[in-house]
Amino acid sequence: MEEPVDTATAILASAAVLLRERTFDDISYRVLADEVGISERTIYRQYPTRAHLLAALSNWIEQTRFPLPPFVTVSDFRAAVHERFRAFDASPAYAYVGARASAISPTLDTEPAYITRAIEAMLEVGAPTLNRRDRRRVAASLRYFSSAMFWARLRTGFDLDAGEICDAFDHAIDTVLAKLPDATWAKP
Amino acid sequence: MAVPGLSGTQAAILAAYAELIEEIGSDDVSNRVIARRAGIAERTVFRNYPTRVDLLLATAAWLEATVFAREESHSIFDIPLVIREAMQRYDARPELAHVVAETAMRGVNGATPSPGRAQLERLLDGEVPSLDAAKRRAVIAALSHLDSVGTWVTFRREFGMDRRDIADAAAWAAEAVLDSIRDRVAP
Repeated sequence: MEEPVDTATAILASAAVLLRERTFDDISYRVLADEVGISERTIYRQYPTRAHLLAALSNWIEQTRFPLPPFVTVSDFRAAVHERFRAFDASPAYAYVGARASAISPTLDTEPAYITRAIEAMLEVGAPTLNRRDRRRVAASLRYFSSAMFWARLRTGFDLDAGEICDAFDHAIDTVLAKLPDATWAKP
Repeated sequence: MAVPGLSGTQAAILAAYAELIEEIGSDDVSNRVIARRAGIAERTVFRNYPTRVDLLLATAAWLEATVFAREESHSIFDIPLVIREAMQRYDARPELAHVVAETAMRGVNGATPSPGRAQLERLLDGEVPSLDAAKRRAVIAALSHLDSVGTWVTFRREFGMDRRDIADAAAWAAEAVLDSIRDRVAP
């Protein structure tokens, strides 16, 4: 990524570099400004609060480091999430930023994450006759078990590695999907 | 609302901070303002909570033990009810709920993302002792995850759900997890 980039992106790229050696809390605007080679004021103009910075940094990391493989079927979804959890395990500092950003009160763009839309689309195609309430219950459960929060909780609170987290994920979504009668699923 | 391990001064600091978070709508409150609200000297805040992260961790733990405290469960199969009520409590105090949510996801800083884990294990082991290690862990992990403020944040933010829908969907998911062990209770 040697292309010249805009200031907002340069700030995020530098913050990501700093994350390799310190936590998000320890990246002050002062330190960040020195790293980018701009004034602290310029950073405030782009990111008026640390919550804005955290949200933008998480989006950027998501796009550059943890791109979500496309999925249409449940088995593709499962594989995509496994890949994601393994990528989180390989770059925990980045994944924690994602988990934390998804917990804060939304700043500007309250757009649901791409994975949310993808799960909803998967269910619309795969289970077209499922009533709306059950579809939302299933979508919300699948979304929450595939989140960076799930990975972070199991890593920090349960001391599990990516393989074990994938197993716990599989078990959780199996129990959720088992709520639906077999006939729910559209036959390909 | 006494919490074990906290001095009266500490409880006063945390209560004052929580009050200010709700009033201001942000956890960005200076120690000076917190001290004034608690009726103590600013350096007393520093002495008890040297860094902001220390203060946030203590505040989140205090909130979970007071404002968001769960009623005691006597069965693992009561957990969906507990989750339903917890979601309603979080929804009633959104600013405080976000503070707990973000603090739990700080990763390496000594946050405790699964405070209810020990209780879930006790209940599960008492009622369904026959599970193998992997299955037991999976059930505990799923229920811990659902019985947390992260559920409220995610369902609200990603799906635009209201209080009823969040409570319903979270309890439903917990019932789904329990379906796999519902008929395996030790006689």
